[in-house]
Amino acid sequence: MRRVGIFGKKLNRFRLVRFGRWILATALVWLNAAVSLAAEPVAVFPEVPYDAFIVYESLAVFWIFIIGLIVIIRMKLREIERTQRLGADEEDPNAPLLQ
Amino acid sequence: MNCPRLKDWLDERYDWGGIKSLVKGKLVPQHRYDLWYYTGGITLFLFILQILTGMLMALYYIPHVNFAYESIIEIVTKLNMGWFFRSLHHWGSQLAIVFLFIHLFGTLLLKSYRKPREFLWVTGFILLGLSIFFGLSGYLLLWDERAFAAVRVATGGAGAFPVIGGFIKAFLRGGVDVTGDTLLRFYAFHVAILPILVLALIGLHLLLVQYHGMSVPLSLEKENRREEPFFPNVFYKDLMIWLVVLGVLVTLAVLLPPEIGVKADPLAPPPENIKPEWYFLFLLETLKLFPGSILGLNGETIAIVVVSCGILFFFLIPFLDRRSARGERSPLFTWISVIYLVYFLVMTAVGFFS
Repeated sequence: MRRVGIFGKKLNRFRLVRFGRWILATALVWLNAAVSLAAEPVAVFPEVPYDAFIVYESLAVFWIFIIGLIVIIRMKLREIERTQRLGADEEDPNAPLLQ
Repeated sequence: MNCPRLKDWLDERYDWGGIKSLVKGKLVPQHRYDLWYYTGGITLFLFILQILTGMLMALYYIPHVNFAYESIIEIVTKLNMGWFFRSLHHWGSQLAIVFLFIHLFGTLLLKSYRKPREFLWVTGFILLGLSIFFGLSGYLLLWDERAFAAVRVATGGAGAFPVIGGFIKAFLRGGVDVTGDTLLRFYAFHVAILPILVLALIGLHLLLVQYHGMSVPLSLEKENRREEPFFPNVFYKDLMIWLVVLGVLVTLAVLLPPEIGVKADPLAPPPENIKPEWYFLFLLETLKLFPGSILGLNGETIAIVVVSCGILFFFLIPFLDRRSARGERSPLFTWISVIYLVYFLVMTAVGFFS
């Protein structure tokens, strides 16, 4: 401790160090005030990493589901267009009525 | 799915066969610009989503000056998936207005407003105005400092309108300044008055679309073009596009949930670099172009009058474009449309990045 004290007294000889000490003290006081006054932002997304992971995983599953549905609808649409080209979707007026 | 008993039940009561043939008989023209037809459907789909997510939020939101902000924090932090539905509602509104503008400018550039579809344009234009007011009224419900300052600026701007400006400002605010009365008033607009008006206008808009049929661009009117049935062909294509839009919307809601600022304090100074929602930026940047005083007159009032004249001219384009009404090409109005579009994009970008 005595050694540190001697070191500090030696440093005190420099004007920059004496001045810097005051600046540091003032900055710390301001920093403390700034940190304590700043409002904590509202968490608009799950903060727990596990919950966040579940959300991202669900998003990926959701996109897979959307792509799957689009593929199915596209297949269905192609089949409809094929039957329309063949004229198979139109009702035959001469078709016998089944009872 | 085949349900003969249900079909018979419906047939006994309603003209089921007539409805079926009406749906099957609706044809949609196929051409190189037919992608624009889907923008209206996307907007409708987003409106439906907005109604659903809005209903969920309305179950927990408290429209009172002391509890509005706290109730939203409770929705976001305590309710199961509350943050997600709020984020979905936020991004749904943004995308709905983006697609409304795309639909509007597509209609304008393809001259789909021409005779006999003038009232389609009128109903669509009023729907755009109501949607923007929807956005503004919803923005205040958050009751944070940014929303508070933005609504104060927007309603103050309306107050600069000559003769009736004071009345509009007082009517919107429910008093002299933005207070709890304004919050209650905007809540009533957002959840009761505007939805009824918008639903009625959407119904009229769709009815007019059915009545007139789909518009074909002037340049393609004389060509031999193909048509496809709305049901099931176009309906399935609509479904696929809606799924993609839903995916984009959910992705935005998850990756970019909207922040919540500090609670509004009417006595506090407005936060720095306050900006309204993006669809007001072109208006704000236009107002900034005018000096405070022009020939001794209030610059803001003159700016509001000039902007209103510009919007009125835009609204009246179907009635002014006589050449399009006669089925002739009208390059003048094409250029006017392009100027409006470029001005809107440039001013929005300037406002966004400034």
